[in-house]
Amino acid sequence: MRFWWLLLLLLATFSVDAQTEEAPQPLPAPPGFESWQAVLDQARGTTIYWYVWGGSEAINAFIDTFYGEPLLEEYGITLERVPVVDTVDVVNLILSEQSADIIDTGGVVDLIWINGENFATLKQADMLYQDWAETIPNSVLVNWEDPAIAYDFGVPVEGDESPWSSAQLHFIYDSARMSEDQLPSNYDELTVWIEQNPGRFTYIAPGPGAFQGTRFVKQVLYHVSGGYEQWVGPWNPTLYAEWAPRLWDYLNVWETNLWRGGETYPATENELLQLFANGEVDFALTQATSGAETYISQGLIPETSRAFTLTEYAIGDYNYVAIPRNATNKAAALIVANLLLRPDRQAGHILPESGFGLGYAISLDRVNEEDRALLEASLAQLGETAADPAALAAAFAPDLAPESQSVIEQDWEANVLR
Amino acid sequence: MKYFRWIALTLMIIALILPLITFLLKAFARGWFFPQIIPRTWSLAAWERLFSPQSDLLPALLNSGIIALTVTGVALAIGFPAARVLGIGHFPGKRWILLVLLAPALVPPLAVSMGLSTQFLRLGLSGTWIGVSIAHLIPVLPYVILTLSGLFARYDLRYEEQARSLGAGSWAIFRRITLPMLWPGVIAAGLFAFLISWSQYLLTFLIGGGRVITLPILLFASTSGGDNAVIAALSLVMIAPALLVLIFASRSLEQGTIR
Amino acid sequence: MIRRAFMLAPALIVVIGLFGGGLLDSLLQSLGLNPALGATTPTFQAYHDLLWGPQHRETIWTGLALSLWISIASTVISTVIAIGLALAIRAQTTGSAVWTFWFQFNLPIPHLIAAIGTLFVLAQSGLLARIAMNFGWITTPADFPLWVRDPHGIGIITAYVWKEVPFIGLIVLAALRSLSGRYEQAAQTLGANRWQRFRWILLPLIAPSVGSAALIVFAFTFGAYEIPALLGVRYPRALPVTALRFFLDADLNARAEAMALSLMITAVLLVVVFFYLRLRS
Repeated sequence: MRFWWLLLLLLATFSVDAQTEEAPQPLPAPPGFESWQAVLDQARGTTIYWYVWGGSEAINAFIDTFYGEPLLEEYGITLERVPVVDTVDVVNLILSEQSADIIDTGGVVDLIWINGENFATLKQADMLYQDWAETIPNSVLVNWEDPAIAYDFGVPVEGDESPWSSAQLHFIYDSARMSEDQLPSNYDELTVWIEQNPGRFTYIAPGPGAFQGTRFVKQVLYHVSGGYEQWVGPWNPTLYAEWAPRLWDYLNVWETNLWRGGETYPATENELLQLFANGEVDFALTQATSGAETYISQGLIPETSRAFTLTEYAIGDYNYVAIPRNATNKAAALIVANLLLRPDRQAGHILPESGFGLGYAISLDRVNEEDRALLEASLAQLGETAADPAALAAAFAPDLAPESQSVIEQDWEANVLR
Repeated sequence: MKYFRWIALTLMIIALILPLITFLLKAFARGWFFPQIIPRTWSLAAWERLFSPQSDLLPALLNSGIIALTVTGVALAIGFPAARVLGIGHFPGKRWILLVLLAPALVPPLAVSMGLSTQFLRLGLSGTWIGVSIAHLIPVLPYVILTLSGLFARYDLRYEEQARSLGAGSWAIFRRITLPMLWPGVIAAGLFAFLISWSQYLLTFLIGGGRVITLPILLFASTSGGDNAVIAALSLVMIAPALLVLIFASRSLEQGTIR
Repeated sequence: MIRRAFMLAPALIVVIGLFGGGLLDSLLQSLGLNPALGATTPTFQAYHDLLWGPQHRETIWTGLALSLWISIASTVISTVIAIGLALAIRAQTTGSAVWTFWFQFNLPIPHLIAAIGTLFVLAQSGLLARIAMNFGWITTPADFPLWVRDPHGIGIITAYVWKEVPFIGLIVLAALRSLSGRYEQAAQTLGANRWQRFRWILLPLIAPSVGSAALIVFAFTFGAYEIPALLGVRYPRALPVTALRFFLDADLNARAEAMALSLMITAVLLVVVFFYLRLRS
């Protein structure tokens, strides 16, 4: 068990970190505020509107109790969680406000759960509150030198959003239907498996609201092109043009043996999960560090479900919270972002009971002894329904630059779906 | 022929209640996977979650209720006089006015609400329940006017004249004659208004900007989450008042649909 | 006269102001006009891109075909079933009120719920498939026919039919009940059979009501979002779903296309309404 988290730690800390020995420098105050105390004072007695994907009642309840209660009790802030179907709707809302001249304050959104393309869009539109993420007290627990944190889908974060948790795309299977040694271990074995089990595999259609599907296709792209290393950095259309045809060929070879002959694909992560639960297909995809247990505990999939990963190219990333430039209650938003990073909250969110089950955003070697024990204990609780953290760490691959997102979605629709 | 009729009517009832049965089963099931016809494990988990203090359900119910009642009240107040003029009067341009007033029933709400959302944003109405209520008037008003003007077309003005000749004032005539005579139709129009507003998703979504959470918004969000028990339970909550209203008012509704 | 204007004014203000205003704003934005952002030259770029541009052309034309198919099929099937059931209920001498109650049973159920119910019942792992499995008619969910989230819109049409039959049916029933039986009796004494009586006596009498009801159903199914959004597939995709997706695109330039598409949906409907009115007069 200890061995597992050590490897996970290696994954989380790409670069060697020498800062911990030095005395911590006092943090600057968040832009527009005198001091952190001023933030606390200003936020007391206010309400914060936090826009979060609201598709899971379990996560909704988790957010309201796990964060809502301490916010009210300790900071006097009322949390109004606003459920959204797709984060892009919120981006759209903020851009509409911008076009209606609501630029610096008066916006309805105080805080958004965000990453990748949506972050890139808002940053590009200059509609983010900037340079604040490394000024909140708990930001010292985040390893900002880790490129996986400092770059969100290749876009430099530059203090415009603060991490909440981490996720890595891998698979779920049902141990009642197949044994561990029948599982494919890489993409070529997966190809063979699909051929031998027609109709039993599918993946999520890449597209808006289904980034997991896009991510899966990117993983195949890494495989087809012989590795992810060449893709790191800014978007390279030439390289993409070179490999894309082979990617579509590879996926089209699968097609006739996919669920429904590849005529259609599940549109969301949950649609795939339901197909899996009802025995229509044999694999589901998940992003949760806690693996299958998150869904088992909600009664969504059979209790015999287990998570596993292929040996290569399991794309992982961090997800963040951002504050729009026109947010009305920036002070409370800062406090929520800070609370999300507090070690006791982090140790709780990773557990499957939370319904959240995503990985840590803070670094284990930056917290004190007591918190470290807490975080380790949580990791140790994950158990057999989660994928082996060591295997996940070994298979880790970063995501492509955000420009790739819509290109891959459109090209996939044109070359594979039609 | 008689057997055929019975088969048709029985099929109709099965088709009508089958979905509701699945809602009931799913709402109380836990891990109800293919191919079980009846769930193996029963659970109140979905209901506990929906009625927990943190749940969005109660505020959403409240929002839906307040908006639907407001819309119903305003639509009746606006629609009643207009329907009277259109139902009783004969005047040039009546056809055109009728066409204008009924147009929102034919033009898809999509085309209107997209433009409206930009305007409401400038007016500071988007994201407020008042803005959403105002927007709901668009699809509601045509049905209210249609139902009420149909009633007025068959309404006998002589009762009012008689009352007036006996010295009754306008308010007394309205209170004692017009309203009681048209009461079932007004109820029917009100029910239409309530139900159209109650089930409105698109307008609420586009005007409310995600900030006005009504039941349809909640339900649509939950469909992306894939927890069938919660989806089914929410569906039942959303149907319940509608069905109750129907059962209590089925007679007046029946009259209202006779145009 | 003034009294009349006064009584009509609130309704006209609401409809012209909100409905007309919203429509006008959509039109302006579809033409790339946004006075607030200083865009004052109208352009038909959005319309052109949708209809002929390489990026959207296919989505739009297949979407148009699908949407037309969905509306026509839903309208025709619902109308036929509605007339049949209305006749059956009228012929029921006992318990007419009970049957009528059942007939209007799903009228207040929102379309969103109809979509979810269709999914629960007809999906390949839905209730019917489970029953089929337990009878041994199928061995895996994949054996069950693809009736929802299918490329031909079967699930969408089913949900619409389920929802619209009572709507049309109640109107037909009301029309039937307002007829006196004399024509039918006269025809019967002249030796007309059941079908002839229906075809030449009843149908012409109820046709206006049926026509209006069918038109409303057609317009609704052509422009509505919820059911195709929940029961459709990615491609081909019904036009309203595509329109909303454009509208919610993070790229604000897609807004003009969203507005243009929603106005094109409206235009198609106006053409249909126009021909319907011509046909009737």
